[in-house]
Amino acid sequence: MKVKVISRSTDEFTRERSQDLQIFARPFVGAMDGHIDAVSCMAKNPNHLKGIFSGSMDGDIRLWDLASRQTVCQFPGHQGAVRGLTASTDGRILVSCGTDCTVRLWNVPLATVIDSDCSSDNSAKPLAVYVWKNAFWAVDHQWNGDLFATAGAQVDIWDHNRSQPVNSFEWGKDTVISVRFNPGEPNVLATSASDRSITIYDLRMSSPARKLIMRTKTNSIAWNPMEPMNFTAANEDCSCYSYDARKLDEARCVHKDHVSAVMDIDYSPTGREFVTGSYDRTVRIFQFNAGHSREVYHTKRMQRVFCVKFSCDGSYVISGSDDTNLRIWKAKASEQLGVLLPRERKNQEYLEAVKNRYKHLPEVKRIVRHRHLPKPIYKASALRRIMTEAERKKEERRRAHSAPGSMPRVPLRKKRIIKEIE
Amino acid sequence: MWVCPNCQEAKLGYRRYCRRRVPLKPESACALSLLLSFFTTEMAETKRKTRDYNNRQGNKKRKVSSFKTLKSKSEKNNNDGERRKRTGPRLPNALRKELEHMGRTNRSNSDDEEIDSDDANDVYEYEEAIPEEESMKNRRFDPVENFEYELPKEFKDENVASEDDDDDSDGEDDGSREYQEGDEADGSRHARMLQDITGLPVEAFEGKKRKNDVVLSEAYPESEYNPSRDVLNGDGRISIQDLVDPLHGKSGFSKLRKSMHRMEKKSTPILAPLPKADREKLERKVTYEQSKKDITKWEPLVKRNREAPTLYFDEDVDLGFSTIGAIASEFEPRTEFEKKISALVNDNEVLEAHKKDGARLLELNKISVEDVKDHQDRLAKMRTLLFRHEMKAKRIKKIKSKTYHRLLKKDGLKAAVAEMEMNPEAAKELAMKQEFKRAEERLTLKHKNSSKWAKRILKRGLDVQDEGTRAAIAEQLHQHALLTRKMKSMKDNSSSDDSSDEDYGDDISDSSDQDRASKLLEKAKEKTLGVINEDGEVPKSGVLSLPFMVRGLQKRKETADEEAKLALEEYESSLKQLEGKRVIENVKKGTASGRRIFGAAKKHVEDSSNKIKVDNYYGSSDSEDNLEAKEDIDVDRSNNFKDEINFDPDLLREESEIGHNSFFKSLEDIVKDAGPKTTYEVAIFAADSWKKANNERSKCEKVADVNMKNSSKVDKPVLHDHDIEDVEDGSDSDSEGQMVDGILSSGTKPTYELPSQADLIRRAFAGDDVEDDFEKDKEQVLNEENPEPEKPVLVPGWGQWTNIQQKNGLPSWMLQEHDNARKKREEALKKRKDAHLKHVIISEKLDKKAEKLHTKTLPYPYTSKEVFEQSIRMPIGPEFNPVTTIGALNRPEVVKKAGVIIKPIKFEDVNPHERGEDHKRSGQKKKKSTGGSIKRNTNKIKVK
Repeated sequence: MKVKVISRSTDEFTRERSQDLQIFARPFVGAMDGHIDAVSCMAKNPNHLKGIFSGSMDGDIRLWDLASRQTVCQFPGHQGAVRGLTASTDGRILVSCGTDCTVRLWNVPLATVIDSDCSSDNSAKPLAVYVWKNAFWAVDHQWNGDLFATAGAQVDIWDHNRSQPVNSFEWGKDTVISVRFNPGEPNVLATSASDRSITIYDLRMSSPARKLIMRTKTNSIAWNPMEPMNFTAANEDCSCYSYDARKLDEARCVHKDHVSAVMDIDYSPTGREFVTGSYDRTVRIFQFNAGHSREVYHTKRMQRVFCVKFSCDGSYVISGSDDTNLRIWKAKASEQLGVLLPRERKNQEYLEAVKNRYKHLPEVKRIVRHRHLPKPIYKASALRRIMTEAERKKEERRRAHSAPGSMPRVPLRKKRIIKEIE
Repeated sequence: MWVCPNCQEAKLGYRRYCRRRVPLKPESACALSLLLSFFTTEMAETKRKTRDYNNRQGNKKRKVSSFKTLKSKSEKNNNDGERRKRTGPRLPNALRKELEHMGRTNRSNSDDEEIDSDDANDVYEYEEAIPEEESMKNRRFDPVENFEYELPKEFKDENVASEDDDDDSDGEDDGSREYQEGDEADGSRHARMLQDITGLPVEAFEGKKRKNDVVLSEAYPESEYNPSRDVLNGDGRISIQDLVDPLHGKSGFSKLRKSMHRMEKKSTPILAPLPKADREKLERKVTYEQSKKDITKWEPLVKRNREAPTLYFDEDVDLGFSTIGAIASEFEPRTEFEKKISALVNDNEVLEAHKKDGARLLELNKISVEDVKDHQDRLAKMRTLLFRHEMKAKRIKKIKSKTYHRLLKKDGLKAAVAEMEMNPEAAKELAMKQEFKRAEERLTLKHKNSSKWAKRILKRGLDVQDEGTRAAIAEQLHQHALLTRKMKSMKDNSSSDDSSDEDYGDDISDSSDQDRASKLLEKAKEKTLGVINEDGEVPKSGVLSLPFMVRGLQKRKETADEEAKLALEEYESSLKQLEGKRVIENVKKGTASGRRIFGAAKKHVEDSSNKIKVDNYYGSSDSEDNLEAKEDIDVDRSNNFKDEINFDPDLLREESEIGHNSFFKSLEDIVKDAGPKTTYEVAIFAADSWKKANNERSKCEKVADVNMKNSSKVDKPVLHDHDIEDVEDGSDSDSEGQMVDGILSSGTKPTYELPSQADLIRRAFAGDDVEDDFEKDKEQVLNEENPEPEKPVLVPGWGQWTNIQQKNGLPSWMLQEHDNARKKREEALKKRKDAHLKHVIISEKLDKKAEKLHTKTLPYPYTSKEVFEQSIRMPIGPEFNPVTTIGALNRPEVVKKAGVIIKPIKFEDVNPHERGEDHKRSGQKKKKSTGGSIKRNTNKIKVK
């Protein structure tokens, strides 16, 4: 028996209108050029949304206005490459360091001044210049404090007003290449060194706490600003590893997708996602607990990415790359910019919710997950897949041919860790 | 800090004294300073002063001994000092002499007994031998003329830490001691003075003085290494007993004492300190443990945030200005212009004027005489300028110099180009102009050697001409090329098609009056005349200029001419007929019957067949012939009329004889007979209501003709009618026969018996065999879902090179494949759920559309299928849910506002047993209900 039903499809009696807004994934907002050498480091101004500092390999430091995408101010002085930049929490003081063995403190021009004369090219004079014994690789400022830490031959803790470090730590003789303070716990900091280690320090006890040695070097570290015990390390082996600082014998999550070394990482202030920049010329955005990236950004002209930052409101991503440009991306590729009316916002929320709800269905999934990739990256990822598969197969076979239990399965989260040193 | 000027004075004085040998006693200066200390009651200050003094002494290279001796010792200071004096520093002889001299002067000058009493201490009894450098022994030292130490001119004193003094002292110098003794003496004097002033006994000031002494002797702050006076009064050591004694009687005292006893009994050897590496390791371990513990405090907070369905980052945000007014009120003029404007706007006078009814504004509006005059002057100036410009233009226009104008033109062109680049409007205009010029050029071919001059030149031959002429000709051609070059035009479609279409439309759009018909005919006539009169221009170049083409064209033209002539005649005749018909029409209308329709239908058919032909003809023709075609159409209309008139009688005859089937044959004949085969567009007629009129008209004519020519054939249609009836009869009889059959089936038996129930049912449903139908249905479904494999077929032409291949038949693999497929199908059929259920069809068809709406595996966060299905069961859209719940249903995981800086997490105490959702707002209602608890929570503890 056939049952006939009157059905009325909305699509049949409604047609497309010119007012219908279609939002495509257009993440690229704009590029900011001005540097004459590769952008090596960036720092965001924690107190001013539009300001971002960038340092380049030729010693040039610039303050950019993100809204107008122009240089507001230059900070000349470094003789060699600028390797580290950071700003104090109140956004008044900028700290830079570089391979010329100097730490420079600068006064950041006020926000009102930035707004009023963005056209005039003004350059600032350093507030203080501290010359030290070794070249610096990184610097980071404590949250809500007066201290900042530099990394080089050792980890030095500086005060704004002292010309010499107030404290310095040395554990092993290898160069420390990155340092990050924990924004939630301002006295805890993590560093990574060229001996493939990640070290955690506690300033309250003024002593290092623990060291973790991995198979490959960690290029950068970022603490989760909303979960002070967790940090994520950007590793040379194309992956990022999220760790719980209390349990360093095992990574919480391994974030794979890059096909070359991950150069820099920064957490969104919401703590729910982070952005990574890689040597494979892409910027990726990961969920804090997802194994694969949510988004991949690339342009034809973007070269090796050396530094990435999430904007302080969590809606933009800024990347600095070898091609001397800074690029601004939307954190959500298909987000509509500008002021949204409440009804518009509600509608978009609804659409998002629907997408989110049905994201598991095959067709929806295909669209949601589909990303166009540059050919080299596509090929490289395919190659990596093949390699890992081959490795896995080989191990399986070995396991099959060895005594049961003699080859325990090591999860990927533990595989890349060599040891934990007390 | 208060610096004793006397000390300074003393120092300077001493220096001077050293240089100029002016007698001045340092101790007197000290005494002065001590007198000043009178006014200071604070102990520390005196101490500092004394230290200052000491330092200065040190700077003057007079070794000062710092007294960190204890009080008891300080009492015996005098003796000590005396003893030490013996081993005092080696003063240069000159200085010694000086001192002696000084002592003498002192003695002679002063009459105070205090000083006298100090006298003994004042004098150095220097017993040391002459220093080596002076004795010139061994010539070890360079000869120096002046042994006296001279301070450099820019010498300045500095406050050096007292420890320095301590290091290189060990009490060889006298100065401070002198001072100390002087101090003591001063002390007594001081006391006496105080006594005199206040009338109190000396003892009242004793304590103060003592204290003074103690502090003086102390160089270090009080500590266990530098015990205080009280301790030193005892045995000088603090025992554990001393520390424990005050605890006597308190809880835990006995325990403490016991453990102390135990410790005293067995004195264990102290272990050697651990190696540095181990120590550091331990330290790190402790640090890690500590920080781990510290970080764990965040856990409940983090857990709550993770479990919360939504995180809010847009709370308590002050975005600054909310209204335009607020922003405007903050405006401050910055530039010069803004300042001026604001000065005018905020001018008190103006504000005042605006305040009341605005009458004052009128006063302000008054213009002075000067202003008016100024304005007039300006106007006059402008006018004169305009006039001058006009005059200049006139003069320029009068200039006859060609060169001048050429140059002017060039300039103008340049300016125009520049303007075009700047201004899109001008560009558009220019483009229009260009287009116009192009059209003109194409029309006139002015530059294509068509001028008299050019023709003449060409006639004479270009080779004969001189260079200049040739250049001129070339230039002209170039000009032509330039002008006719197609620009990027403003409008896309060319005009030629349009015009023809319009004509066409004109024809069609009119009403179906007979006037229209006549008009059309007239028009057509004109056109044909035009065609005939038209001179055949033979193209001079291109394919059409080839001889055979020319010939063909001519032939075609001739035929066309003939046709046109014919058409013309027809037009005339039809026009006449039309006129005639108008008269007859009313009369004839009654005769139009249903029978005639055949004729009309026929004509229709004929029309269509014609049309097909015409279409074909046109399909091959060039598009250039459009115009011609149009004309032809008109021609054909008239043709059509003629045909009708001609063939109608024949038609009638044939129809009656041959019947329906012969229609087309006759038509073909007609078409063949039709004489001139011409082009013909039927679409017009089809679309046109005019056609009907046409038909009607033709019918009328037909009737008229028939009536006129042979009236004997009128009965034929009747015959035909009969035929049709016959046919109908035939069909009728058939149906009757069936009916007869039906009657037969029920009524064959002569005797009637009551059938059984089953029989009845069988009979009732005799026609529809349900079971059979069902089986068929099932088979169909099975075939659909598991289709039967196709039989292997040899594709013709494949693998058939030889007969052998053909003989062998199908290859074995094909057969095998087919077999396998068949087996597979059978198995699949057996496996079906409805294989053993006879009366059931269970469809196992995969619905591809439904497949899209299913996931292959259970998505990640879900652990059971039911939960997942539950989660996507209810719709979340605004159409299906009340407004109050939509927000909560659609809320994203993270709510944040663009442009709001998000600060890192701040510690707050979280009750781990409280549900995460309750804490944060997740809908208006919830917020209200749990508002109290939130407040309590936030109030409880606020850390950091």
